[in-house]
Amino acid sequence: MNFDLSEDQVLLAEMVGRMLGDHAANDRRDPGAEWRDCLGQGLIALPFAEDQGGLGGGHEEVMLMMEAIGRNLSQTPYLQSVLLAGRVLALAGRMELGDLLDGAQRHCLCLYEPGQRYRWATPATRAERCAEGWSITGAKVSVPDLDDTCALIVPAATAEGLVLFLLPPGISGVTLDIRPAPDGRTAANVNFASVIVPVDAAIGDPAGNEALLAEALDGAVLASCAESIGAMERLLDLTVEYCNIREQFGAVIGSFQALQHRAADMLIAIERARSITIYAASMMDAPAARRSVAVSAARALVNRSSRFVGQQAIQLHGGIGLASECAAGAYFQRLTVLETLLGDTEHHVAAVERSGGLLAA
Amino acid sequence: MELQFNEGERAFREEVRAFLLDNIPERIRQAVYEERPLPRDWMIEAQQILNSAGYAVPHWPIEWGGRVWSPVKRAILAQEIDRNSVPKPLPFNVTLIGPIIAAFGTEDQKQRFLPGIANLDIWFCQGFSEPNAGSDLASLKMSAIREGDHYRVNGRKIWTTYAHEADWIFCLVRTSREERKQQGISFLLIDLETPGVEVSPIQSIDGFHHLNEVQFDDAIVPAENLVGEEGKGWDYARYLLGQERTSMGNVGFSRRRLERSRALAGEAAGERSETLLGDADFLRRQTWAEIRLKALEITQMRVVASAPVQGADPKTSILKTEGGELLQEAADLLLDTMGPEALTAGFPAGIGPEEFYGIDERSGILSAYFSSRKYSIFGGSNEIQRNILAGSVLRLGRKR
Ligand SMILES: Cc1cc2nc3c(=O)[nH]c(=O)nc-3n(C[C@H](O)[C@H](O)[C@H](O)COP(=O)(O)OP(=O)(O)OC[C@H]3O[C@@H](n4cnc5c(N)ncnc54)[C@H](O)[C@@H]3O)c2cc1C
Repeated sequence: MNFDLSEDQVLLAEMVGRMLGDHAANDRRDPGAEWRDCLGQGLIALPFAEDQGGLGGGHEEVMLMMEAIGRNLSQTPYLQSVLLAGRVLALAGRMELGDLLDGAQRHCLCLYEPGQRYRWATPATRAERCAEGWSITGAKVSVPDLDDTCALIVPAATAEGLVLFLLPPGISGVTLDIRPAPDGRTAANVNFASVIVPVDAAIGDPAGNEALLAEALDGAVLASCAESIGAMERLLDLTVEYCNIREQFGAVIGSFQALQHRAADMLIAIERARSITIYAASMMDAPAARRSVAVSAARALVNRSSRFVGQQAIQLHGGIGLASECAAGAYFQRLTVLETLLGDTEHHVAAVERSGGLLAA
Repeated sequence: MELQFNEGERAFREEVRAFLLDNIPERIRQAVYEERPLPRDWMIEAQQILNSAGYAVPHWPIEWGGRVWSPVKRAILAQEIDRNSVPKPLPFNVTLIGPIIAAFGTEDQKQRFLPGIANLDIWFCQGFSEPNAGSDLASLKMSAIREGDHYRVNGRKIWTTYAHEADWIFCLVRTSREERKQQGISFLLIDLETPGVEVSPIQSIDGFHHLNEVQFDDAIVPAENLVGEEGKGWDYARYLLGQERTSMGNVGFSRRRLERSRALAGEAAGERSETLLGDADFLRRQTWAEIRLKALEITQMRVVASAPVQGADPKTSILKTEGGELLQEAADLLLDTMGPEALTAGFPAGIGPEEFYGIDERSGILSAYFSSRKYSIFGGSNEIQRNILAGSVLRLGRKR
């Protein structure tokens, strides 16, 4: 085993860290500008194969990118549009990937449905064949980072099986209900009322779409773990910094053993999260079922660590931790969103349970 | 021992419950149930309804609206208020400043303030914490210098809940420098309209504005607004600690949250079974929380039934930490009923409470989750409570 980064990986991490760090230092931060910079620096192309116009980066490179996003609390929709929607386009071999790579179009994947938790593989959203092609009816919830300029990828049940539909922005019959999310971003609920799309809007092959989505999702879940780890590490740094300047009872509060031990526990929780995430990364080329279980194990533990680290960071800050002006709160909020975004603790632990546990893995 | 409520107590509970359900408007109870912040006039409306029935200040002296009810009955009332989603009588008014004025104020102060405090005609906020005086409250610096018949007040208070809604603020101020930092502190009532007093908002991570900073620049405050004796402010503040403990465990509130998490989990899809409540893991956590709640209810009643102790009372610290942690656990459970829909249930970022209302019946849950971190921070953090238990109670590391 060797856990060291290669020279190229070190350079990548430095470049991304510097770029997003500069944005983070800007008072009037603009997620749009961060996206354009990612595009300019080839980061949108990073995870895609060279023969698809990408740079051929692997999971490790993506994780470095996502850690930097987490650490700098970047609101760039990388997870959504590159790692989920973009990956689906790539796996299905769609031309539209080119629009993402050259910055002409951003795509969003609509996974979840009302009242169905994380059951994306059996959607109630349905599509029927019609004269013009397909007619889609149903509803999706909680699509992160979706705005009215985005193209949509919508899984729907059909007589032929699970079909993924690619919908251009502004198509008739689609209504977006965009809401502020608790992490300062937005998310949307989407309604589809007899949305008519041409035949070639159907992506992939119904027999393989569930596996295709699972593969994209596993990669995104792994990446989201890296984002959470980056966010947790920065949050612990902020907390330690604060504990070493805040004085009460004539001493810095960092000198109180109760707080020292709490911070040490936070560090342990983060390292635990990092290790399980490295394990999951090592399993990305394993057969699909084992890969998915490894990813679920990672997200379950990362979720648990995130909750502890987020809550305790606020505790150690005291009152100021509750104030929006203090950076700790924004990290806590993002960590909380990441806990529910692509499967919460309950969801991922259940997946590991169903596989019969990890001892044989 | 009498380990269950007796017949009279049970009858009282029914009477209270019936009154609350009949008289507090449904729109208010619904908002409280959903944990949406209430408009100012709804809070006043609710408190006035309670006050009309003698339910706002039963623990006060009888001449000021108190009732000759046993502490057990008062605890039942507090629990029913919370449990039935009725807004609590404003704690700053009825459990903090009211009892202080009743105990240490002048006759004039009592006449002038107590009826309005009980009826929420006068809204008080609490000016204790300062930027550099939080857990170490006694190190507070805000100064009040006596000049003839008034005080000249300078300094800054922070984390002042509802200062933007309030009419008055009660402050701990430094009136002289003494050897011990607990000395030289006085208790002063200040009209927020006073020139030189400025309230500025602090946005909090639950997406709302409840907190404020209050700045005092050469504010002139009549000397008659001093409560009790100069230099005794710290003792009065400590007197409060030992006082109203009938509602300290927040048991009614935790029960309401746990009833809600059970209900929502019963409707939500599960991971291993049809509903989330059928999921072994969720159900186990919910059940543990209910077991802790039952213990807390009994702890609360044990505290209520025992005579107040002056100074460090271990029961108070235990009740405060257990109560706060259970509210936090219940908020965790509520969050966990939502799955991916947590993202769009509604969060008041950048929009006013009005627009936020009713986006989704679960719209208050995320705010409540974030804001619940406060229960282990304010009013003596959990670390401070554990310091008290370890030091003053268990006398760890001290010579006997
Ligand atoms: C939502 C909210 C509402 C509030 N409303 C009001 C109000 O209306 N009026 C008012 O006056 N105040 C109010 N407060 C302030 C509150 O009482 C203080 O936040 C509290 O006393 C803690 O002080 P601090 O915030 O300065 O934290 P600090 O005292 O700086 O504490 C920071 C951390 O250090 C820990 N710590 C401190 N000392 C020790 C020690 N000796 N040993 C171990 N750990 C220690 C704390 O537990 C905490 O984890 C409110 C606070 C909140 C969060």
